[in-house]
Amino acid sequence: MILSGPKIDEEVNNGNITIFPFCEYLLNPNSYNYRLDKTVLVPQDSIIDPKEAMKYTTVEIPEEGYILRPDKFYLANTLEIIGSKKYTTTLIGRSSIGRLGLFLQITADLGHIGTSHKWTLELHCVQPLVIYFNMKIGQVAFWENDGKIKNLYSGEYGKCSLPTISKIYKIL
Amino acid sequence: MILTGSKIIEEVRNGRITIDPFVEKNVSTNSYDFHVGDLIKTYKSQLLDPKLIQEVETHEIADEGFIMHPNKVYLGSTFEIMGSNHYVPIIRGTSSIGRLGLFINITADLIDIGSINRWTLQFNASQSIRIYKRMKIGQVTFWTIKGDITLYKGKYKGTMEPQESLIYKDFEDKEHKK
Repeated sequence: MILSGPKIDEEVNNGNITIFPFCEYLLNPNSYNYRLDKTVLVPQDSIIDPKEAMKYTTVEIPEEGYILRPDKFYLANTLEIIGSKKYTTTLIGRSSIGRLGLFLQITADLGHIGTSHKWTLELHCVQPLVIYFNMKIGQVAFWENDGKIKNLYSGEYGKCSLPTISKIYKIL
Repeated sequence: MILTGSKIIEEVRNGRITIDPFVEKNVSTNSYDFHVGDLIKTYKSQLLDPKLIQEVETHEIADEGFIMHPNKVYLGSTFEIMGSNHYVPIIRGTSSIGRLGLFINITADLIDIGSINRWTLQFNASQSIRIYKRMKIGQVTFWTIKGDITLYKGKYKGTMEPQESLIYKDFEDKEHKK
């Protein structure tokens, strides 16, 4: 089952869901709106090779915004620390942003149980688009699990507080 | 939990799910196949700035179809009026459409409970593609919800044709500036 907005609110207050900072006005009927943090990583490789750590430059989004280009993808992160040891998290877009043609993740929408951190967003735009620091950019939903929860996630990306590049090169 | 096809039929008959028109042959094992509406909107500006009101052009899908190209956002809608005050819908493309490289939503697949209207579809073509009026384009699934329910009352409530982003309102919103 997916949690309703009032249930998300209740479980944040009970400590079963972490959303920090948490603002009640960002609750939706069945999700929570998260905002965009300040740092964007811009990949520099013309061909991305999973066997090597990706080269990138780091940009801080200026006051007047930062323009994303369709021929690239970008890594950014949520302003909020988000996670739960009790529920499964899924990362979804807001329709206001989807209607402007911005993907927030590239098919990877499922979060792990047990980790709370600033989530890395995989940004890709269809048309050039301006993004602003602190704008409401996406939504997160929480799902009940069926079955015993063991082995809470302790993987590579569990403690990230900045946009984090793919670590797949470590296993190839 | 996700509803099965037979449960979707039951809940449409009970009035707890709206799918209008509803045609039983479009029910799959755990979803319902929906169709594209007649209108497509595109933004006049190439650069999109969320702080600005965006002007749009409206196109009607002709009998010979409508061609979508990569690197352009196309907004369509479902032909069906859909939604529920009891379940949470999630939309996705049919695999037949995915196999042609067409996204029908852009990361925003989750519909708010209480949003009962023609939902806006966000198209992105990986290769140029022709779409036809009222063709089968996507699937909707329905999920059970836990907790008290507050129904959607947001800015897109009740839209019956493709609706461009109203995100500029966020930047007028005092709460946003907190």
